[in-house]
Amino acid sequence: MQASRTPSQRERLAFVFWGLVGRANQASSPRKAVAPDMSLSILVPLLPLATVFLVLIGGPATQHGRAKLGVVPMAMAFLGAIATLGVVAAHGSADLRFYEPASVGRLALPLGFRIDRLSAVMMVLIAGVGAVIYRYSVGYLYQDRDFRRFLALIGFTTFVLLSMVSSANLLMLFVCWQLLSYLLYLLAHNLSHAATLDGAFRTFTLLRVGDAAFLAGIVLAHSLYGTLEFDELFLRAAEAPGALALAPGLELSGPTVVTLLLFVGAMSKSAQFPLHIWLPRSLYAPTPVHALLHAGIINAGGFLLNRLAPLYGLSSTTLHVAFVIGSLTAILGAAMMLAQNDIKKTLGFSTIGQMGYMIMECGLGAFSLAIFHLIAHGLFKATVFLNCGNVIHKARHEPVLPRVARPSEETELSRLAWATGFVTTLLLPLVILLVAHGILHIPIRDSQGAVIFLFFSWVTSSQAILTLTRLRAVASWKVSAAMLATLLLVVFTYLFAAESFTAFLYPDPTELASYFHAAALPTPLFDALVATTTLLIVLGWVYLYARSHGRTVRVPAWAERGQAHLYVLFLNRLYLDEIYAKLGLAVARAMTCLDRRSWGRTG
Amino acid sequence: MTAWATASLLIVVTPLLGAASGLLLWGHPRMLKVWGLLVAAASFLMTCWSLGSLPVAAGAFPHLLLLPLTAFLSLLGQPAHRSNQPAWLLSLLLLGFGLGTFVGEGPLSLMCLLLVLALVGLALAVHHVFPGPAAWWGIGTLGCGVLSLALALVAPSPVSSLAFLVGCAIALPLVPLHHGYVAALTALPGNLPAFLALLLPTLGFHGLEAALPELPDGPAQAAAGLALAGTLYGSLKALAQARPAVLIAYGNLAFLSILWWYLAETRTAPSPAAVYLSAVGLAGSGLLLAWYALCARYGDVDLRALSGLARPMPRFAVALSLLALAALGLPPFGVFSGLVGMLLAPSYAAPGGLLVIVIVWLCASWYFFDLPHRLLFGPERATLRHQDLRGPEAASLALVIVILLMLGVMPSRPIESAPAPLHPTATAEFPAWTK
Repeated sequence: MQASRTPSQRERLAFVFWGLVGRANQASSPRKAVAPDMSLSILVPLLPLATVFLVLIGGPATQHGRAKLGVVPMAMAFLGAIATLGVVAAHGSADLRFYEPASVGRLALPLGFRIDRLSAVMMVLIAGVGAVIYRYSVGYLYQDRDFRRFLALIGFTTFVLLSMVSSANLLMLFVCWQLLSYLLYLLAHNLSHAATLDGAFRTFTLLRVGDAAFLAGIVLAHSLYGTLEFDELFLRAAEAPGALALAPGLELSGPTVVTLLLFVGAMSKSAQFPLHIWLPRSLYAPTPVHALLHAGIINAGGFLLNRLAPLYGLSSTTLHVAFVIGSLTAILGAAMMLAQNDIKKTLGFSTIGQMGYMIMECGLGAFSLAIFHLIAHGLFKATVFLNCGNVIHKARHEPVLPRVARPSEETELSRLAWATGFVTTLLLPLVILLVAHGILHIPIRDSQGAVIFLFFSWVTSSQAILTLTRLRAVASWKVSAAMLATLLLVVFTYLFAAESFTAFLYPDPTELASYFHAAALPTPLFDALVATTTLLIVLGWVYLYARSHGRTVRVPAWAERGQAHLYVLFLNRLYLDEIYAKLGLAVARAMTCLDRRSWGRTG
Repeated sequence: MTAWATASLLIVVTPLLGAASGLLLWGHPRMLKVWGLLVAAASFLMTCWSLGSLPVAAGAFPHLLLLPLTAFLSLLGQPAHRSNQPAWLLSLLLLGFGLGTFVGEGPLSLMCLLLVLALVGLALAVHHVFPGPAAWWGIGTLGCGVLSLALALVAPSPVSSLAFLVGCAIALPLVPLHHGYVAALTALPGNLPAFLALLLPTLGFHGLEAALPELPDGPAQAAAGLALAGTLYGSLKALAQARPAVLIAYGNLAFLSILWWYLAETRTAPSPAAVYLSAVGLAGSGLLLAWYALCARYGDVDLRALSGLARPMPRFAVALSLLALAALGLPPFGVFSGLVGMLLAPSYAAPGGLLVIVIVWLCASWYFFDLPHRLLFGPERATLRHQDLRGPEAASLALVIVILLMLGVMPSRPIESAPAPLHPTATAEFPAWTK
């Protein structure tokens, strides 16, 4: 692949470069000198360690009391994270480094903290979710054989996650990244359950694929730009991106190679296709562990892409790859979710689908939206997981009543239902588009990301309406009007929140625009994608709407057969587990064969 | 006699005299073990005391300190049994000659290295645990090393350099001259494999540091190619093993081949390379010690014959898990720090070979991780009577872990050698960066 050097790309590089220069100047401005001392903010990641020690040190007689006491440091970490966010929002970011490149006492692993808006937001999310999950676990895991182990692991994972999001450089981030891989193995571990053990081992080995790519990425980044300090790295990459000749005539730009390798790391942690199979395999772990996994650990990929957004903004190729992988994961995750017959697996595949959306948003240049999404998803999924045990418990104990017989085909569809559908699918998006363009000044014509965002809003809101229609909730004008008003309110609130959040995380509009420019797809392709997706969605709605009202929809026989085949395929999760298992077996056989034939065999 | 000559002599003579006087305690294994520990400790203290006055570069300091320390740790966890006596005395002899390789100058250093290889070969010939071709291949390779070093002592310059390089390639294993190292780690009794896991590569590395500047480009490139092949070969062999000692030996071969490749490719030996070598050797030693602690209880069994040790043997479980993590290159242990330090050093400029190294690093996550996973988890064997690590065993493993941790986080500057590269940095022709 030849890296093209079009004027627009140079323009993009200039965008990013000047954005970074502006940021560097801002950091060295006198305003920072009067900012309060931020050194206390390193207590936020360290406090969960106190919980770990509290849980682990001491005899079994006092373990429950100590576990309860462990909530205090976790809650203090959360409060500290909120305070840090407030200080960062008011006074700007700060770097706390415990190393100096020129110093004799330089540690092998450079320890340092970078407290900026992104890390502060992530710290609030992680510390908050961590504290809630820990408190829940103290009760949930009471009298569990591995009570202390799991509580200590939850505390330690929170510490590693907080350290990761506040890392001052890429190497420290990578150290925390790897520790997370191992912690996932330990968290998904149940000594007495064979399937869990197997799943935990595969989880670790699969995550190491991402770790290996990450390692290659940082080595190449250092080889090219001579630093792993974030701001310095972004500046040097923008100034002199460099290129790698893989073969005669096949040259890739430096940022593309580096970001692609780092993206593989993000794919593994955020369960992107085809590295997603570890997530459903870890579903035997205790419920609080799931909550932590789905609300915290799995967001690591989205965070990494955001942290390195200026680097990703230099490579359109990587952003397009991220868009494709994210889209594929979102579609396959959602499809597999629909075919599962187990609540935890359903939630697991739902997470995979949501992570796909998140990566897709990054691929479109909407980095801040991905963070917004992961926060919303994290809070939602943590709640769902912490509550799913109750749902399962109730489902097992409450009597299931037989279905009420209904007429198979309605004589006519309600006019009101049709009207609501029409307003939802056609008028509502138009209103949103116009208002967004007029009031929020979103450059819809220039920004594919904004179009995609509005497109999602439309799909989500219309899907909600359709669901209610299928439930026959739209029975009167009052209900219909109230629902539409609520929906409009929700959508606009969401729009405002997302816009404000974007302005908070990426205050420089030039920088933001450069990401959208870098991520822009060719216009005909983009239009075709939007049109095709719209058509498919509307057709799907028509089909479902008619089916839900008892209408017979004529579908070709091949399509019916295809549907059945697809159902089996998605039910079996595309047979990827079996394919990987066969691949592993083939490699093991080849190794054994080589061992038998080699000289000096030792077997 | 100058101060450094006295210090050097004392460092070398102490373990040799200790081994000789240990013969007086033959037949009293408990006393002999204590004597061996005292001699190793004295050797360590003497090395610490005379570190400043020794004629060695700062980069060799960790190795000089680690050799007596590893000898001490490998002896500490040993059961006091008659069958281990020869291995203990041989350890002291090897320690003496190993230290002699560092502090000796010119032919004396070479002679010490020759004696180390000869002693290991002799030990293999007299007592190898597994009868079979592996031990004989090992003896043959070590014999070849002895002959090469003898040739290096008497031959003129280009021949002597190449012969010396062959000797180094047997100590710091380079495919296809790796059989001596693999046999030493798999076929020798007692604490010898754990000690040799560090001693042999350290001596080879020390020799290479001296030989690299004079090495012509052709042999260096050939060595780099062989090393890259060796990394893959070691990994593939390790993946196929069901016997832990063999797995550890081939795993170490793969990781040490990375070092070989790095040295041959960049012609530099930065301080992270020394850290990496020490950590790889020490992690191998620790894993072998842990495995032999199991062998002392259940015999030399297959990996598939043991499982579920995590609950009945919690101390062993924690130690083995941490050692495996260190060996496979997870932070914050020395293997990771050393590897990353080497790859981020200014001397490493070209991305050539990176793909292979990353694959090897990834494979280690499979085979080294499989070791504790199989042994510690899964169904408990009710027919076996379990006993957790005894005090000295646990202490030796804990100390190994602490040292690995220290290697991973300690400041690297104090052990940096002279900064100038040994040879102009070689750049891979393809693929190459266009900056």
